Amino acid sequence: MKILGIETSCDETSAAVVLSDGRNFEVKSNIVSSQIKIHAKYGGVVPEVAARIHVEAILPVVEAALGKDGAKKIDAVAVAAGPGLITSLLVGNEVARILSYLWKKPLIGVNHMEAHIYANWLLNQKINFPVLCLVVSGGHTELILMRGHGKYEVIGETRDDAAGECFDKTAKILGLGYPGGPAIAAEAAKFTVQSSWFIEKLPRPMMATPDFDFSFSGLKTAVLYAARDLKNKYKMEEIIPAMAYEIQEAIVDVLIAKTMKAAKKYNVKTVMLAGGVSANKRLRERFVEAMKKELPGVEWSVPPFEYCTDNAAMVAAAGYFHAAKKDFTSWQKLKVDPNWEL
Amino acid sequence: MKFIFKNEKETLAFAEKFAKNFRGGEVVALIGELGAGKTVFTKGLAHGLGIKERVQSPTFLLMKIYNIHPSTGSGHKIKNLVHVDAYRLSGAAELANIGILDWLGRPDTVTVIEWADKVVELLRDRKVIKIKMELGKKEEERKIEVIGK
Repeated sequence: MKILGIETSCDETSAAVVLSDGRNFEVKSNIVSSQIKIHAKYGGVVPEVAARIHVEAILPVVEAALGKDGAKKIDAVAVAAGPGLITSLLVGNEVARILSYLWKKPLIGVNHMEAHIYANWLLNQKINFPVLCLVVSGGHTELILMRGHGKYEVIGETRDDAAGECFDKTAKILGLGYPGGPAIAAEAAKFTVQSSWFIEKLPRPMMATPDFDFSFSGLKTAVLYAARDLKNKYKMEEIIPAMAYEIQEAIVDVLIAKTMKAAKKYNVKTVMLAGGVSANKRLRERFVEAMKKELPGVEWSVPPFEYCTDNAAMVAAAGYFHAAKKDFTSWQKLKVDPNWEL
Repeated sequence: MKFIFKNEKETLAFAEKFAKNFRGGEVVALIGELGAGKTVFTKGLAHGLGIKERVQSPTFLLMKIYNIHPSTGSGHKIKNLVHVDAYRLSGAAELANIGILDWLGRPDTVTVIEWADKVVELLRDRKVIKIKMELGKKEEERKIEVIGK
């Protein structure tokens, strides 16, 4: 089955063609047009600007993804229908609906977070259920238990800010750029514990609680207080690498601890990462280390970098499993849902 | 009116009680820096309105809508809590673009706007409950000032 995937949830316009038999996924094309540089000067995505750029980019991106074969061999169209920014979502969804109508091909509305999880299937590995997935992005931090395809149980989630949001906001407090994740990671990379004259210690919120929930708002506030006090004692640029390092460690420590604990409790066969924050190198490293040490018999999966951030190949992959079950939505009925929860 | 709360619990309890006076159509403008407790305050309001769902920061999605079921509400006619975050926005027009005008001031809806100082044009000529929040001297202490109504 050949699926055209379309993704416009936030600030990437993407289209992809993925061929699959359910076991192997061949990404024929995955075109991503990013607006990140345009939004960086505003310190975040500007909804109206994003929508206009999506409108400009979507047709060339879809055409490039289809390539010379055009629409001929497409079996279904899958589009991310939420969660996301309504103005951005609408662009991709209108295009998907029109294509479904014109081509007379079935249409699938895919949840954007589900698509992030299915990025792991693009690695063509056999994935055994039950699966535990840590989904971390700018808007989400969730531990999701999957007992089969399309079966999601949220066993833990953030009580306030998402991990990606914590990176963004603490980066802002330190005067670093947007997006905050890569900015913090780059500063943290300059720091080594051994040779440092300055080490800051930050809290690990909720790390020891018996549930699987997260909280990052308190960490943000702790950084705010630390920055306020330290500003008077040191030059900020001298201590920023140490602060960035500790922020990253604090976030990663909590994510890993809760994921390992949940994987043990639910006795899963596979543990995976998904979402934009899973592109963070330190998180990936620590995840693999923890899996090898704490859960040596359990399989794990980390999506390749290119499929961690928003892309349409992951939407097509998730779409495949809906299509296999004939779980379609007619173009007349497909609606975007900016608050869609798994 | 000015208040000082020693910790998060006190802020939550105050907001919860505060929401009990709502009748519908209220617009709450929260103003304060990062970490001042705006989302915590909103959580308290949500609880006071009978919302059982977890209220998370809406920074990424900009706007979240919580439905209030009649059975959980405390007899009022409020059906929705709209939680808006203008942190990433540069002006009121952007909020209008994602549909805020469909909700603002609706008699069955309470709208809470974090970082309301970024979208003042939207709130001009409207009856708004303005709440200024500040970090206190001690770690968990917060200073809160309620202006209007």
